[in-house]
Amino acid sequence: MNRKLDYVRCHICEAVNYVDDTNRKCRRCHESITHDLRLSYHKTLAFLITAIIFYIPANIYPILISKQFGKTSSNTIIGGVIHLWDAGSYPIALIILLASVFVPLLKFILIIYLLISAKYNLHSSKLDKHKLFYITEVIGPWSMVDVFVVIILSVLVHFSGVQIYPGEGATAFGLMVFFTMLSALSFDPRLINHQKGDSSNANS
Amino acid sequence: MITEEELDNLIICKKCHTLHKRVPLSENKKAFCSKCDILLYQNSTNTLDRTLALVIAAAISLFITFKFTIITINIQGLEQSLTLYALFMVILEQQQYIVGMMFIFLIVIFPITIISSMLILLTLMKFKKGKYLTQRLLILLAHVRPWSMVDIFFISLLVAMVKLFDYAYIELGVSFIALIFTLILDIIITKNISFYELWDLHRKIYGKIDE
Repeated sequence: MNRKLDYVRCHICEAVNYVDDTNRKCRRCHESITHDLRLSYHKTLAFLITAIIFYIPANIYPILISKQFGKTSSNTIIGGVIHLWDAGSYPIALIILLASVFVPLLKFILIIYLLISAKYNLHSSKLDKHKLFYITEVIGPWSMVDVFVVIILSVLVHFSGVQIYPGEGATAFGLMVFFTMLSALSFDPRLINHQKGDSSNANS
Repeated sequence: MITEEELDNLIICKKCHTLHKRVPLSENKKAFCSKCDILLYQNSTNTLDRTLALVIAAAISLFITFKFTIITINIQGLEQSLTLYALFMVILEQQQYIVGMMFIFLIVIFPITIISSMLILLTLMKFKKGKYLTQRLLILLAHVRPWSMVDIFFISLLVAMVKLFDYAYIELGVSFIALIFTLILDIIITKNISFYELWDLHRKIYGKIDE
């Protein structure tokens, strides 16, 4: 029997519960809190793989297509950043570079790291990993900046002569952010607490 | 075995998941996490009234934001405005359904859902009515909260304005100011209200939730 009691924070009402690993409901809001940890692990992994797959077309296909009097030109994410840098708007180029290139990559790396450390003992501190997970949750939505900018531009620059369209890359990018957020949301913090080879949990 | 009361006096930090014991605070004092210095809980008087006032203000400014023009650009006499209506028309015309739906959900539908359900929730709690409905609203809010992106929309708007600055004359609309107000109120509401406290109040007002 694998019945280790643990303090669990309900993700809905934030109440502290003292429960074991079987299917339990929160004592305050009666939403289920201890789902199967393996299910949470695989859901996180599946959403992460989907997001990484979407990351490829998001960078290959143009995110922004502009039509000027019949002449079409398109920009990918990196292309847009280089274009902005050449034009001299360094702060904006940095914001876009951070939000749409570094944040998704950082999120992929952090979630992969957390998943690996849930399976294998990496001798890393639980406190740091909880903080890393918190960072993953906070920075996640900020990658949407580029997609929002393209949509705002496509609404504003909408004349008969000059037009801006969101490209296929924008769709792929939006879906990528959506799936990374789902991945982070389905990650159960108890995966950090119940790491393998952890003597404090094995004995209790 | 630990009793319910003892568990009620515990709180887990949302950032580092360290277990803390709650100590009684004097009025308007705050308690921070011992490991990562994030706000754990605070002792504020009349939480309900204060929050309700903020939510009403947020509802008004959200309504203005989506009702009027946010910005208007002018390129050599040609004008185009950013409004909710223009957004729908452009999405339908360009057939960008996936990106368009995402944008509408994250920027329009989810913020409206949050503010309106907060409004209903706090009003009901104020009059101590609707035990089941308030409970469902609190659960709904917990699910929708990560998906509201008003702050990111505002930064995107600024980036878009800088991109257009060289080509177009930009005029700020009424909704631009309303958007700033919405953003500030959104930050105050989400920063100051802990759902821990709202659930605590819920239990104090309606008693225990039975299955």
